[in-house]
Amino acid sequence: MTMSNRRNFIRSSLGGSLLYSGIATDLLARQEADALAPRGAHFPGRAKKVIFVFFSGGVSHVDSFDPKPALYCDHGKQLSLDHPETRGRGGYEKLFLKRPNWTFKPRGKSGIEVSDLFPHIGAQIDQCALIRSMHTSHSNHFNATLGMHTGSFAFSRPSIGSWVSYGLGTENSNLPSFMVLAPQMPYAGTQVWASDFLPGAHQGTRVQGGDTPIANIKPSLSIDQQRREIDALTAIDALHGAGRSDAPFLAARTRSFRTAFGMESALPEAMDLTQESAETKQLYGIERPEARTFGQLCLTARRLVERGVRFVELIHTGSSGNWDSHGNMADHGTLAGQSDQPVAGLIADLARRGMLDDVLVVWTSEFGRTPFNNTAENPGREHHNWAFSSFLAGAGVRKGYVHGNSDEYGVRAVEKPVHVHDFHATILHLMGFDHEKLTYRHAGRDYRLTDIAGNVVRDVLA
Amino acid sequence: MLLIAALLPILCNQSPSFDREVLPILSDFCFPCHGPDAQARKASLRLDLPETTLRKNDPLVVPGKPEESELFIRMGHAEPSKIMPPPKFGKTLNAPQREVIRKWIATGAPWARHWAFVNPQIAPPPTVSDNGWPKQPLDRHVLKGLESKGIKPSPEADKATLLRRVTLDLTGLPPTPAEVAAFMADKSPDSYDRTVDRLLANPRYGERMAWDWLDAARYADTNGYQGDGERTMWPWRDWVAKAFNRNLPYDTFTLWQIAGDLIPDATDESRIATGFNRNYMINGEGGRIAEENRIDYLFDQAETVATVWLGLTFNCCRCHDHKFDSLPNRDYYRLMAFFNGTSIDGGGGNPQTPPILAVPDTNQASSRSALNKAVMEAEKAAGAIPKDDNKKIDAATAKIKALKEDLERLEKSIPKVMIMADAPKPRKTFILKTGLYNQPGEEVTPGVPSVLNLFPAGAPANRLGLARWLIAPENPLTARVTVNRVWTLFFGIGLVKTPEDFGVQGERPLQQELLDHLASTFRGTGWNMKQLVRTIVTSSTYRQSSQVSAASRERDPDNRLLARGPRFRLPSWMLRDQALATSGLLIEKVGGPPVKPYQPEGIWEEATFGNKKYVQDKGDALYRRTIYTFWRRIVGPTEIFDNAPRQVCSVKVYRTNTPLQALLTLNDTTYVEAARCLAQRVLLESGTDEARIRLMHSLVLCREPNSQEAAIMLASLKRHRQHFSMFKNEAEKLVSVGESERDLSILAPEHAAWTMIASTLLNLDETLNKE
Repeated sequence: MTMSNRRNFIRSSLGGSLLYSGIATDLLARQEADALAPRGAHFPGRAKKVIFVFFSGGVSHVDSFDPKPALYCDHGKQLSLDHPETRGRGGYEKLFLKRPNWTFKPRGKSGIEVSDLFPHIGAQIDQCALIRSMHTSHSNHFNATLGMHTGSFAFSRPSIGSWVSYGLGTENSNLPSFMVLAPQMPYAGTQVWASDFLPGAHQGTRVQGGDTPIANIKPSLSIDQQRREIDALTAIDALHGAGRSDAPFLAARTRSFRTAFGMESALPEAMDLTQESAETKQLYGIERPEARTFGQLCLTARRLVERGVRFVELIHTGSSGNWDSHGNMADHGTLAGQSDQPVAGLIADLARRGMLDDVLVVWTSEFGRTPFNNTAENPGREHHNWAFSSFLAGAGVRKGYVHGNSDEYGVRAVEKPVHVHDFHATILHLMGFDHEKLTYRHAGRDYRLTDIAGNVVRDVLA
Repeated sequence: MLLIAALLPILCNQSPSFDREVLPILSDFCFPCHGPDAQARKASLRLDLPETTLRKNDPLVVPGKPEESELFIRMGHAEPSKIMPPPKFGKTLNAPQREVIRKWIATGAPWARHWAFVNPQIAPPPTVSDNGWPKQPLDRHVLKGLESKGIKPSPEADKATLLRRVTLDLTGLPPTPAEVAAFMADKSPDSYDRTVDRLLANPRYGERMAWDWLDAARYADTNGYQGDGERTMWPWRDWVAKAFNRNLPYDTFTLWQIAGDLIPDATDESRIATGFNRNYMINGEGGRIAEENRIDYLFDQAETVATVWLGLTFNCCRCHDHKFDSLPNRDYYRLMAFFNGTSIDGGGGNPQTPPILAVPDTNQASSRSALNKAVMEAEKAAGAIPKDDNKKIDAATAKIKALKEDLERLEKSIPKVMIMADAPKPRKTFILKTGLYNQPGEEVTPGVPSVLNLFPAGAPANRLGLARWLIAPENPLTARVTVNRVWTLFFGIGLVKTPEDFGVQGERPLQQELLDHLASTFRGTGWNMKQLVRTIVTSSTYRQSSQVSAASRERDPDNRLLARGPRFRLPSWMLRDQALATSGLLIEKVGGPPVKPYQPEGIWEEATFGNKKYVQDKGDALYRRTIYTFWRRIVGPTEIFDNAPRQVCSVKVYRTNTPLQALLTLNDTTYVEAARCLAQRVLLESGTDEARIRLMHSLVLCREPNSQEAAIMLASLKRHRQHFSMFKNEAEKLVSVGESERDLSILAPEHAAWTMIASTLLNLDETLNKE
């Protein structure tokens, strides 16, 4: 809502009475104290908004983005490793290399190899900077998921979305600055989008889809009636506040009521996909039953960033029925059927609308999967945090580029390794932040997303 | 600049306070690399101790000679390779900070201990000019501070405001109209003090005080993590409220919660109290290693006790020495060792893991003893039957069997609460490298942080000894940390505004004398909690008006100087209780199993893949106080915002403004139903529109509206009426929200119009705030 609109809005609350207009105008003249007011970055960042796509459970890098020809020819070869997931585990005394289930092909003009698991994403690979040397500090879902979102592998800390919201504020006061599209709860639960010690306004607002995307978004009365209520409320509050000089607090409160009111119509509108063409929906794979749910979420994510939401997180499935294919790698195929086209559609749609100029797309999982198992015939793969793949696309990102590499079997990130802290530092850099300076003082310490580590991966910058 | 710097020692010979001015600078700029953390220490230089900083050989600081002191020289060095802190540190010292260091060295570099680690002493209250103002000794401390700045305290709040403030503060509920009327009519000088005594004797007081303790203790009704199985800890929750109500001295309150099983005269009650340390999250995930879980629980117990009683953030010491405070890694594991003797095994699967205690209520207890007696008698009678009387034997056997079945059923129905109890064989404790359960290092024995008071002589090296150490008269932290938290309840911000950190990096109290006065008095009165609360709320400081002039707000936005009364938004649980109370819906039943009031559909199901279905309660359970609402750990009650998440210990104050809160108080069933019942209450009780608006306003805010406020509400009422008379379906829908019955004699459009006014009132800034 623009200032002049708001002025009219409050004026209308006075019901034609001029008695109180002086008070209300005075109130409007003051700067509102607001945690979400747009704030400046440290330097001009290319990315203004982020869509963070998180595939939960651990996507196998050697079956998707990290081609390892040696795994095919050395299938069944024994290797000796002190691995966190097999150490001391009965039946895992011996480890054997295991060939991928999918074959790799060069894609796009860049010729970057992506497997048949993700043909649609593969078709968009020229937009991406693919990192094949990711590694992380923990091999448990809970800790690794927490780490990928907060930079902390043990304690509850603010999420990356909260940090970005804290750093940049919001562009649309009728919508939350950080929204999470997650039909199911991920590992680590709400800690994934918690603001923790940052002000609560930066907490991710989780949208569950369906008729009531957010609790209490639908009033039991008409919009007109609610507007009347808020008008009267604002007028009386203004009277009460007039003698008290508590203007900043009152203004913040008033604003939260106005935003709530705005959200009641803005959110359903943003989530209303009937406004999208059949062709667009097709691009996201929405007409295919298996891709429908995630396709709709990806399309909604585009609509939210279009409307000024600063950080949108998309979570593919949650803490079960996910990419954690211990039992059978074939499950990866089913999951890719639900998610490959939606993610590719999102990148393509953003690109053709020119939105990739200022929207950064991040795709990652919490870790990869072991290129080996206790037998070569074991159909599944275990958790693997020593090497995995992630990619960035859009604002400020070098296109069609592969960064780093893992060793010949995909066991260790050996060439230009990128730790989660480096990944975070790079994302913040693209948003215009020096990750060492985006800090918040809590419990006597200046905390930051990257803890006490992190280096910007300059090679992936355009 | 140079000239001024040169003149300063002559002009001003006073040394800056080491603790207040010098230590924070050293801590911020030097300790990260030259502090207590041995592993992070660079160049083997340590600046947090006098013996290493002022050492004989090659001293870093030469008392009296800043220009010869390496510390000072490096702080202003021209060469980037020599300046400290180095450029890559990211923070640089400014000129005033360097000047503090220079002055400190020039005046002899006196060293002092961190304020919070020195035991507070009873000191005579200061003298002030205006002897008429103080009502309590604490007021003298506040007034001295104000007088030194030439500030006058605010006048006393008007009676109605004060009554609403103190009633909300002490019971979490607003005063009833009868209480308002009685208080307004009572002109005796001690009417306020008697009101405070009345409120302290109200059982609602214990429920109010319990809330924040439950937050700190991470109390919940489920285990957390993926499985989030349900647990029974509510008998412990009820014990907390009871303990506040009967004014259990805080030292006993402490002793029982930490070691109620180990005290010489342990009772079931003192054992229930130990449930405090069983409120940690339990990981029931299959495949988790039990020992890893067990270590996680020990971390949680040690860190919770450190934060709640000592105000120390200890968790960084899991992996390394504290960066700022003299809390070595070793001290962390020594503290943890106190908790390492219990029979808790870390195994998953059982949501209610041993040790547990059956907690029968009075009826269950008497039924149990009656049944036990009946079984015994029946068995005795059976023994007397001749061996060949098969018929009688069969009858007796059947009777015994039936009785035993009854007993078993009864036993099953008795709630079992998790408690602490030591295993027969003690465990060894090791320092764990980077906090990993399977990386044991050096073995340690139970012990308290070496920087604090000594462990009491002769005390056992177990939880009982730990508890005695916490409440020992020499402990510098327990009393301070506690009074600071109690102060925060009423003033919204602590005298130390970092209740979780009394360490070097925490805030130094602006009014340390006031804090120390409260702490030493609290200890001196035998840790009398009600007396502490009474002292605070009967003080002139508390009774001030919260109205603030622009100048005063500008000078002191957070009211740290206390030149006015407290004003801040009520916690979300109190908002709900207030709405229930003013609408007449509140059911004041005390204690018992948690209840499930309204919650938007699908919240649990979404969060748990449909494993947990939220079955909303019916009837009275919908209108109990919020403290009795079922708390599912992974998705807390939706009616609560800005609260500790109750996953791990949290003592900090949350106060934010988000639209989600407004959506809740505008649209949530609880609040809409409260508005409709408040409307009904007013429509059934009184006549004209004006009179009804006055009544409704008084019910919510304890005061009648002024003419302008009334005019806005009347105009608004008129428009709502017009609307609902045209859209009767909308009216019908609005007045049907919630499950309480509505009086059908009131026409829906009229009821709906008044519901809107009630909702407006419940959402007013004044209603959402403590004034």
